[in-house]
Amino acid sequence: MATLESATKTVPSVSSEKTTPRKGMSPRARRQTLAFYTFVAPWLLGFVFLTIIPLIVGFLTSLTNYDGLNVFNLKFKGLENYQRILSDSDAIFSIGRTILWATLNVPAWIILSLILALILNQDIKWRGFFRTLFYLPNIIPVVATVWVWKIFLDANNGVLNAIIRVFYPDLTIRWLSDYALPSLTAISVWGGLGWGMVVFLAGLQGVPDELKEAARIDGANAIQVFFNITLPILTPILFFMLINALIGSLQAFVIPLLLGSGGGQASVPPRATYLYMVHAFRQIFVNQRYGYSTALLWSLSIVLLTLSLVVFWSSRYWVHYEVAVEEGEGKA
Amino acid sequence: MIEQRSFNVSKLTRFLTTYGILLFTTIAMGLPPLWLLLTSLKKDIEYLSYPITILPAVPQWSNYIKAFTEFPFLKYAGHSLYLSLANTLLTLVTSAMAGFAFSRFNTVPGRSGLFRVIVALLIIPGTVTVIPSFIVFARLKLVNTYWPWILWGLGGNALFIFMFRQFFASIPRELEEAAEVDGASPFRIFWQIFLPNSMPVVATCFIFNFNGVWGDYITPLMYLTGENTTLAVKLSDYVTPHGQPLITVTMAAAVLYSLPLVIMFFLGQRHILKGVVTTGIKG
Repeated sequence: MATLESATKTVPSVSSEKTTPRKGMSPRARRQTLAFYTFVAPWLLGFVFLTIIPLIVGFLTSLTNYDGLNVFNLKFKGLENYQRILSDSDAIFSIGRTILWATLNVPAWIILSLILALILNQDIKWRGFFRTLFYLPNIIPVVATVWVWKIFLDANNGVLNAIIRVFYPDLTIRWLSDYALPSLTAISVWGGLGWGMVVFLAGLQGVPDELKEAARIDGANAIQVFFNITLPILTPILFFMLINALIGSLQAFVIPLLLGSGGGQASVPPRATYLYMVHAFRQIFVNQRYGYSTALLWSLSIVLLTLSLVVFWSSRYWVHYEVAVEEGEGKA
Repeated sequence: MIEQRSFNVSKLTRFLTTYGILLFTTIAMGLPPLWLLLTSLKKDIEYLSYPITILPAVPQWSNYIKAFTEFPFLKYAGHSLYLSLANTLLTLVTSAMAGFAFSRFNTVPGRSGLFRVIVALLIIPGTVTVIPSFIVFARLKLVNTYWPWILWGLGGNALFIFMFRQFFASIPRELEEAAEVDGASPFRIFWQIFLPNSMPVVATCFIFNFNGVWGDYITPLMYLTGENTTLAVKLSDYVTPHGQPLITVTMAAAVLYSLPLVIMFFLGQRHILKGVVTTGIKG
């Protein structure tokens, strides 16, 4: 949240400062310049070699038939790898799956996080305990999280089916294969709920109590107060969460791989959770199609960067309320 | 009278919905990990029995010892710890250095342009660079070594640089001016005044970065093979040398694997939640 707020505010203030011309630098200015570049050198080198070069190499690879070994026998393929995406039925299937998964995951995560934040924003007993408890899954590493859910949802030995069997003795639901997408959503929401809740709780601090009080005196009930006061003030955060969730969902592939069979790099996720990034990952690590895989990645990057730019661009319009500005200023 | 009564009814519904949702959520959030804890105390036969047994007949605390003897916990935890610590410490130092540079040296040419690059970097999605980086590291023959983690650490982290910069900008200039008059070099000012004064940011970045590397599954899966891999990868599909899965022992190992992060969370809860709120960083 504040990343964007402060970022948009900091940049102009920095750029407006006058820079001294390079020629005729005083010894002090020269020393300062030297010191500055010494301090940023590790990051700068890392940025060039670990971000820019891989991005360029990734793009160049996407134009070739590179398979991991044929460096001396590369063929330039132009945009062939990109065209191939459209005729690859697995890729199209994975795009469909990813869209479906995002439409399940994004609203589920946002709505549940918001509900929890609203409840825990009230003055209730054990508030701190509940907040900590709901945040904890966020701390658990993904491999442990998937183990938790694998044995919880196991068709034969899982607790969920055991509970269901109390009511329907002969029912055995294969959650992780027949209902893989809802299960994936449950796992993902379970892990992300605490984070979403904390961000919403911070946003709720920006809703002035006097405003809610005034509305209540005017006869508004809790639901009216929520939709007419709380929600409008929360829209910036809601929008931030929406884009964040969208970007996260489109890139998801770790949990499907962990839920898959075969293990390791060659793990085959349940078909219903064959997401776009899973497909891109498998092109390199199973099929050695580096060119095609990087084409898949670049295509996704363009979508993700567009989404990010939308947030970045729009943040100056929806970050409007005073509370956030004061907070940002205090930090800078 | 009537108003009074309806007020109480709505108050009661509110109370019931609030605690109803809290109770349900507590069960939904708590039951799965509780089941993992119970499973980690069972015998394999108990885990596989049908219908299921809820509590272990005799808690098998020995599973937690077996996690060290039958499951090679220490060896792979060592790899994870080495990567997490090395990467985190390097990331902290280089990020703090860059953050310091961006918070001072106002007159240096090129500073504002570079700072914009940092801000732009915040929006580059991580996953998209991980696989192309693999191609580069593979060509450099650095795959299946720990060098990538060292180099990533030396490269710092854009978000952390940003956090340090914001924090350092709030430190009054008088502090370093006095030191400068005494002839202290910028590096000494950074190391002896700024860094020791930024412990809240250091703690936040340490926890987030350590958790990130310790919990990371996909990077070691791509970059490391066989014996060199980390605990995360080993835990994901461990079978004994005889091809036997050790579910309950693996569950005990999974608990031990998560424990350091949970402990760190309780120690640094304040910093973590503040970090989430002010920067939108994800655990």
